[in-house]
Amino acid sequence: MTEYAPGSPESSHADRPSDEVARLLARVTRPGRYTGGEFNVRVKPGASPRIVLSYPDVYEIGISNPALQILYTYLNDATPAAAERAYCPWPDMAGLMRSGHVPLWTLETMLPVAGCHLWGFTLPHELTYTNVLEMLDLAGVPLRAEDRTDDDPILLGGGPAVANPWPLAPYFDAFFMGEVEHRLDAIVDAMQEPTRARRLTALAAVPGVWLPGVSHAPAARQVFMGFSSTPPVLRPVVPVMEAVHDRAVVEVMRGCTAGCRFCQAGMWYRPVRERPVDLVVEAADRLLTETGCDEVSLISLSSCDYSGIEEALTRVRALRPGLRVSLPSLRIDSAADNLARFAAGQRGSITLAPEAGTQTLRDAINKGIDEAQFEEAVRATFEGGFTGLKLYFMIGLPGETDEDVAGIARMAGTAARLAKEIGRGRARLSVSVSSYVPKPHTAFQLEPFAGEETLHRRQRLVRQAMPRGVRVSFHDVAASLVEATLARGGPGSDALVEAAWLAGARFDGWSEHFDFAAWEKAAAATGMVLGESQVGEEAEAPWEAAVDPGVERTFLDEELLKAGRGALTEDCRSGVCGACGVCGSGVEMEVLA
Amino acid sequence: MTWWLLSFSRSGSARYLSHLDTSRALQRTFARAGVPLALSLGMRPKPRISLPLPLPVGAAGHEELAVVEVPDETRGGPAALSALRDAAAPGLVPQTIVVAGERHPRPQPCNAEYRCTLDGDAGAIAAAVERYAEEEHTIHERVSPKGTRTLDLKDYVVPTAVEAVAGGAKISFTIHYREDGAARPQEFVDLIARWAGVEPAMRGLERLRVVWEGLPPGLDPGAERSESP
Repeated sequence: MTEYAPGSPESSHADRPSDEVARLLARVTRPGRYTGGEFNVRVKPGASPRIVLSYPDVYEIGISNPALQILYTYLNDATPAAAERAYCPWPDMAGLMRSGHVPLWTLETMLPVAGCHLWGFTLPHELTYTNVLEMLDLAGVPLRAEDRTDDDPILLGGGPAVANPWPLAPYFDAFFMGEVEHRLDAIVDAMQEPTRARRLTALAAVPGVWLPGVSHAPAARQVFMGFSSTPPVLRPVVPVMEAVHDRAVVEVMRGCTAGCRFCQAGMWYRPVRERPVDLVVEAADRLLTETGCDEVSLISLSSCDYSGIEEALTRVRALRPGLRVSLPSLRIDSAADNLARFAAGQRGSITLAPEAGTQTLRDAINKGIDEAQFEEAVRATFEGGFTGLKLYFMIGLPGETDEDVAGIARMAGTAARLAKEIGRGRARLSVSVSSYVPKPHTAFQLEPFAGEETLHRRQRLVRQAMPRGVRVSFHDVAASLVEATLARGGPGSDALVEAAWLAGARFDGWSEHFDFAAWEKAAAATGMVLGESQVGEEAEAPWEAAVDPGVERTFLDEELLKAGRGALTEDCRSGVCGACGVCGSGVEMEVLA
Repeated sequence: MTWWLLSFSRSGSARYLSHLDTSRALQRTFARAGVPLALSLGMRPKPRISLPLPLPVGAAGHEELAVVEVPDETRGGPAALSALRDAAAPGLVPQTIVVAGERHPRPQPCNAEYRCTLDGDAGAIAAAVERYAEEEHTIHERVSPKGTRTLDLKDYVVPTAVEAVAGGAKISFTIHYREDGAARPQEFVDLIARWAGVEPAMRGLERLRVVWEGLPPGLDPGAERSESP
């Protein structure tokens, strides 16, 4: 592996970018998106197999993705493979690449992506799907797997969105279901085979891999049981240009068993596994040196539930004077305690997520916090010195009524009153309201999407009832319609993605780029109705043919019935097994003693 | 607190960093090297670092300058330089450190030498440069969100050489900095390209050398200054 030695000719990419690329770079916004040269970048000239890792969004978003950092680090540092990266070019660059016939290149070597053996995508959510097609097209790789030849890379999709791979199935040669760390060696070995056909055959034998049109059984979602004993990424690639997140990241825990019935990640990443505090603190120390960051984020799906959080916060804070430590999410039911620990020395704003406006609906989604806990958490926020509070709610949840929606404004009113009393006019309060999209492998996976009209009406209700002075923002309903269609799309839903891309849809997660007209045109062309699921209540869900998530369908069906009754399911951390089906055969919860 | 003058080069992929990103990357280099920067006072302290002459995005710089403030106890010298070089991002290489003392140095650029390549007919490009030299005035209107500014490029830019290279011509020129500002390399190159009838896309823009006023002896690598036009 080549480590760039500062001062050496290689260190400056002296021979790169090529004149061809340099001409494009001179004419685009933020050319640093396309040139690499970050801290801790790895280059392995001549190594084989050559693997390209992609996140289908612009560089500033993709470089902040922790999953890609894990794959990049392991592949480069622990296998014979060379892992390089490519992100989705911004429309100005894409236009120039097309007119100049310059194919998509990687940041490490500036070589065409199309020449790699394996092209792996982390697929974060449905609104990045058109970007996948955009990247394939810009790379000159045939869109459909069936059209690829020995000269083309094998496309492997992973990440949370493959929980339902159907909307992208024809474009990928294979999907990997679940956590891949312990299967990377096998995937690299498969790529050493001499032909594409043999590589695919070898890949199909790797646990967790599902080949559209080839695999006869769903792939078992993989759980990395070495998580707790493996250090986090210690030498991440650190961008030299501004990215969305500028902080060192330590994943303290994987999985969450709080059991929120709307939450796909809560089901997809079970069971809970925690890293020892010593490992977390050592990693934070090393990361501060390697990254030069002045902030460490202790990330997980619910970091306040991490058993070692108090000790970890104390010890990490002590590593450097003035070090900022952040947690990505706080649970309201334990927020008052957590905030007391967390708030010391912190400033700025914090997000709390009650999710729903009434006790009835919160019980239905298994988010059993009550108004007293909410009030206590808000009080602790402002008493802890935070000057900003953002409340996060959803509308369109199954069983929701107008009364539930009005409850959002009531809770905001409570928070506004406390902000005034305790925050003494300095405290800012904002409310974010998103539209609920039912996701596969959750209790609500077969529940209807609320629909455009209902969501618009409920947005109006929230806006009208919201107390003065509270800033409220809504997610774009049109984008939610697209997301809802793709989240539960079955075989054939790929046609919608391709038609939308052909109609000009790109960067659908960006409000300034989201083009609903392109999606309407695509829906008309493919006979699909935006917002409608392709599965009926009685049918086997199409994603069940592709992946066995470990969480059993009977558990999800029972959870749906309990939602109707407003009955809560306890977190299995408390010792009561909810019989979700994940544990067993070497998979089990690993919580610090 | 003590002020340092750090000279560094920017090349390769680092050429495509903006001014702010270059500054940010240098801050990160100090942090990675364990060389502390002094912080500004106030609610949101920021590292005390400034780059007195921004380098255009896409341009390489051979002798760029950063002015940084460090705590008094921070030791300069070869050890600090070595640590900074080891911690640097590819293409952004610290070259020298000069300890300037307690007074905030405020170097002002006098002039800078540039070089770039224009694709197209080398003869036409050379003729355009010759025409520029012969013109008494070359008026340019700079349009920005703040309004329109008219400037005579001849007041600021002196071409020094044109050399035919494969596919085009390499142009060398000096930009002089005055109290009322300066012309930008792109403005001069655009004019030459227009007169030569070639694409205005320049390749490989490099700032070879900057001559400063207000620098302590020892840092200014040139010392002698070229004549103002």
